[in-house]
Amino acid sequence: MADETLSHPDASRTPHGSAFDAVEQGPRRSDEPARDLASVPTAVPSHPSVAALRAVFGEAIGAHQLHAGDQHVVFVDAARIVDVLEYLQQDADQQYAFLLDLTAVDYGGGKPIQVVYQLWSMAHHRSLRVKVELPLNALDVASVVPLWKTADWLEREVFDLFGVTFTGHPDLRRILMPENYAEGHPLRKDFPLRGRFSRAEQTRRALGLHVEDNYTDFEMGVGRDPQLVAEESDGSLPGDAPRAAPDAAPDPAGDETSAAVPQAESE
Amino acid sequence: MGVNDPEATGVSLPGGGTSARASGDVGSGGLFGTGGPTFLTTKLDWVVNWSRRNSLWPMPFGTACCAIEMMASAASNYDLARFGMERMSFSPRQADVLICAGRVPYKLAPVLRRIYDQMMQPKWVISMGACASSGGVFDNYSMVQGIDTIVPVDVYIPGCPPRPEGLIYGLMMIQEKIRQERLSDHAINRAEDPLAAGHPRASESEIEGLTGPFGNSTRQNRVSGLVETSRIARPDDRLP
Repeated sequence: MADETLSHPDASRTPHGSAFDAVEQGPRRSDEPARDLASVPTAVPSHPSVAALRAVFGEAIGAHQLHAGDQHVVFVDAARIVDVLEYLQQDADQQYAFLLDLTAVDYGGGKPIQVVYQLWSMAHHRSLRVKVELPLNALDVASVVPLWKTADWLEREVFDLFGVTFTGHPDLRRILMPENYAEGHPLRKDFPLRGRFSRAEQTRRALGLHVEDNYTDFEMGVGRDPQLVAEESDGSLPGDAPRAAPDAAPDPAGDETSAAVPQAESE
Repeated sequence: MGVNDPEATGVSLPGGGTSARASGDVGSGGLFGTGGPTFLTTKLDWVVNWSRRNSLWPMPFGTACCAIEMMASAASNYDLARFGMERMSFSPRQADVLICAGRVPYKLAPVLRRIYDQMMQPKWVISMGACASSGGVFDNYSMVQGIDTIVPVDVYIPGCPPRPEGLIYGLMMIQEKIRQERLSDHAINRAEDPLAAGHPRASESEIEGLTGPFGNSTRQNRVSGLVETSRIARPDDRLP
């Protein structure tokens, strides 16, 4: 028994295969046939949160996978994602209070775009990655800003670069690309590397962007007394006025007219 | 000061006899040399250019790793102040040289153009590093393929990033360019169309030519005819 442990230190600890198996076997010779990784047993160890999710939500919980050795991934029905995440955040046995990251992946070839919620439970010291698959013709998913405020800019980023619309987001605008960007969503796999427009057109549009149009008076008044700025405008407190209604956010297809965000403050 | 400067050699005050005192002190060269009388404008050229090129205040437009080298150039080891770049002017209206150090995405292009437009004449522009000069490795949807499509550029500094010596060399090329300027040419050199503010420097066809499949870097030579390089002289070209 002791000899076996010495010869295979991980054998007793990982009955299932892991993503590091190929790494531990070392590099493959060029004339060696490709290893059949499918033959490696890939039973996924149980994860307490996934088991609880299956008990609560049943059919809404899809595949459970293990990535990179220890990252548990669970696929969730897009229609139930807010319920699932709210449960994970609120339930006393889960307490995923920290949304580490919200991003998306496009695997190309017409495959659905995956929206990824990377969760961390500080109470239970536990990690879980929740994924939602959205078909390319229905890139809509409910916003989780009411659950985690940090999702605000992250969802804007996913909207900007992948074109996923988060319904219920308070201010769904482009965040990285210019407001008048009209070439689509750059991180899609079908997006050409150099963009869709010519360089001359890209340059013309870039210099045609009036930066001031996208900021309120308060945001433009950097370094000035906010009270003074408020009195100079219509007397309302700075930041009170809504920037733009969520349904007035730029169209995913995008053009110049839709990119014009209405000025909240008077001149 | 400029005793050996060829521009000053043979320059004297009008009615050259007044420079007898200076000729004894300074020798045959210098501002009060013993050369024959010449035109006042020549001397004014020299004085203006001398003061301009030795008090170039850079406007640092640092967006990436090139800015780290730019900061190193200003620090004590390399000490840009030796050459008159005494003060990094973070306000464009008090700056002479725009040093664009780093990659410029399209979203930043109007900012760069605005800062250039806000600078007072005379002004010069240095494109520092591969990204600012040609887009560098970032030949993609978001990156300006060389800031010379946005603003006129006087000196391109190659490197990724260039060492501080490279930046100082580029600034000395600006000094050399200033040294060769003539006040009489300024109406041409410094003319700026107010309607050009906020617009690309290059025409559409020129931008397409500059940003071809292999990027701006292959076009920045005299052969292409797309970029004016002939007016820039190296500091080595100084006469002894």
